[in-house]
Amino acid sequence: MAKQGSAAGSLSRRDFLKLMGAAGTGLAFAPFVPWGNFMPNPRGALLEKVPVELPEGSQANVHTFPTNFAEVITYPKTGDRVLDGEAFRKWQFIRLPEEMGGSANDPTAFRAYSMVCLHLWCLWSYVSAEGRKRGECPCHGSMYDPVTGQAVQGPASVQAEPSNVLPQLLFEVDSDGYVWILPPTWSPRENGVIGYGRFLK
Amino acid sequence: MDASLNNRTGAVAFFYWVWDGIDRTIFTAIKFSFPARFVSPFGFLGMLTFVVFVILGISGALLMFYYQPILDRAWDSVQFINDEVPFGFHIRNIHYHGSNAMVLLAVLHMYYQYFSGRYKIRNEILWVTGVILGVVTILEAFTGYDVIFSERAELAISIAASLTNSMPVIGPVVRDAMFGNGFSDFVLRFYAQHVFLLPLVMLGLMAVHFPRFLVFDVPMVMAISGAILITGGVFPIDLGFKFDPNVPPGITVPEWYLTGIYAFMRTQYDKFVTGLAWPLIFIIALILTPFLDRYKKFSWRDRPIMTAFGITGIAQVMVTTYWGFYISPDTTIPLVQRLVIDPVFLYSTMLLLVPVGFGFSYMMIKMSKEAERRAKLAKANGPKKVATINLSEKWLNWVIVALIAFQVFLNIAAYNAALTGMNNLSLFFVGLVLIVFASLFHVYRYAMAKAKEAPPPPPPPPQEPASQELPAAAPPAEQPALAAPPVAAPPAAAPATAAAPPPASAAPATSASSAPASAPPATSASAPPGPEKP
Repeated sequence: MAKQGSAAGSLSRRDFLKLMGAAGTGLAFAPFVPWGNFMPNPRGALLEKVPVELPEGSQANVHTFPTNFAEVITYPKTGDRVLDGEAFRKWQFIRLPEEMGGSANDPTAFRAYSMVCLHLWCLWSYVSAEGRKRGECPCHGSMYDPVTGQAVQGPASVQAEPSNVLPQLLFEVDSDGYVWILPPTWSPRENGVIGYGRFLK
Repeated sequence: MDASLNNRTGAVAFFYWVWDGIDRTIFTAIKFSFPARFVSPFGFLGMLTFVVFVILGISGALLMFYYQPILDRAWDSVQFINDEVPFGFHIRNIHYHGSNAMVLLAVLHMYYQYFSGRYKIRNEILWVTGVILGVVTILEAFTGYDVIFSERAELAISIAASLTNSMPVIGPVVRDAMFGNGFSDFVLRFYAQHVFLLPLVMLGLMAVHFPRFLVFDVPMVMAISGAILITGGVFPIDLGFKFDPNVPPGITVPEWYLTGIYAFMRTQYDKFVTGLAWPLIFIIALILTPFLDRYKKFSWRDRPIMTAFGITGIAQVMVTTYWGFYISPDTTIPLVQRLVIDPVFLYSTMLLLVPVGFGFSYMMIKMSKEAERRAKLAKANGPKKVATINLSEKWLNWVIVALIAFQVFLNIAAYNAALTGMNNLSLFFVGLVLIVFASLFHVYRYAMAKAKEAPPPPPPPPQEPASQELPAAAPPAEQPALAAPPVAAPPAAAPATAAAPPPASAAPATSASSAPASAPPATSASAPPGPEKP
């Protein structure tokens, strides 16, 4: 009975082998076709080394940029007014105060963190006043340590990692003292994911 | 005239040609029935959900003419629709309240099927696709209120994106792929999913989910549509504030079908567990229901464990739904503390609801069985007296005329209100028009059923013994005059279980004949298939 049923309804050995051959061929080639690349927006993953362009249009220079000071920079830039204006492309470009190592004329004096607060995506900014010297979010009072980008107070600080550390950009300084942004990798273990966070190393 | 109709010439011929052609399509495989009398809407809540889906499709398509899924224009275009486009207010409110109605109807539909055990007898595929369809419906509604890109929509997008991010390993990649990178992408991609991808998925699932027998009850469809419009008129949906990343957002909560999940997220435990794992467990439990339910019977009374789980689930859903909305009004506490829900309190309440739910189910089943027993006793004691409204033909005509006149008045009033800028009043009136149409249709079909009835036969002599036929075989015996109390002594309670086929032997003619008369005429009970609607 069981033998009869299986003979009537199932594949023959030859058909089965053909099917396996077809599936195997497909599977063998599938990994080499980057189909999924259609989905992420290529403009969001623009991996280029670009100058740090300050709002007034000049490139940031270690010799002129004051310590304990921050500017808003846009990265990656598209040239589109709407896209360049959105929060996910806004970064706080900070030169640390002297006591945190801001007087060095090399990349260690600089930080750039995504302005999108990890709590509910308001825009935080750096406050340079004495006794504060930290990133502060106007919405629900999340405070960020300018050295590491870690949330130290407020709702963002109680979020599980990686959602308590801001994504960051890394720099290079050329021989003339100009600051360049190194191509980032948008992953929690590298530069972080905007609006989500980064693992502290 | 007669001859031309019989020969089927001209437009009539064309109509018949189309009608015959439809015979070759899928539509005749579906049995549409148009009930000729009032039937409980619980049986066709799914059909009502589908009707609301169609309403949403049409109103949504109209909104697409004006909506712009662009970061800095989305909210402004919705404001333009709401404030300046003629009847834009109406369309937007119909779309918004329709979405709520659809989710609500889908949930009610699911629970009705759950408690009536209809997912059995090879309906498992219908049940499983239905649960998935319900989840997609909620996603569809969720993406819908996000594309306005108000402050509240931005918070919802933020939560959705962070939930997606929180999935282990694949999270950030999936977020990048599905939602894109940045607000501009979010708005556009939520829009693409809202107007195309998710509806497409829903249509595909519906093709599987549709049962072969469908009830299209015109009055109930009209009443539901009218209720949507009236809700839109009474509670017009606002625009919210345009999202500005530099302005602290006010306190917002998601739509009511998500506050249950929101309550768990507000415990500030891991986002993945509270926001994804818990809902997923709930959905999987629902999907597995038909395979876990081993009872042989259908009624909720005969499936105590399933009923208890269902009641517990409903209780938990209701409590968390309310809890998600509730934010302490004490403004002296910092905002974040007001938002946080004590997890110990929440989870212990959830656990407490389990025995409460089981106890409640036990009580309901006991009471129901007792009521059933009493009903049987009462039935054995004599005919059930049902108060019926019997209108004469003259009065039926007057009622219909009055309802039509009322509709005309409401139409004029609605148009006048729209002209003078009282948009919500006009929406309210249009809703009333639909509800009046529903009652008009109901009175009309009642009148048609009355007209079809055979004229009442002359009253039989009152004391003639019964001829003991099957109840269905005695349709013309509707004699209100004969609904007198039975003369004979009540038979014993024991044979009452054998209700229909052999009635108690000594029952007089009056009780035997008035039993079917308590139900509406047999013509409607058999529910003729009627003209099948393409």
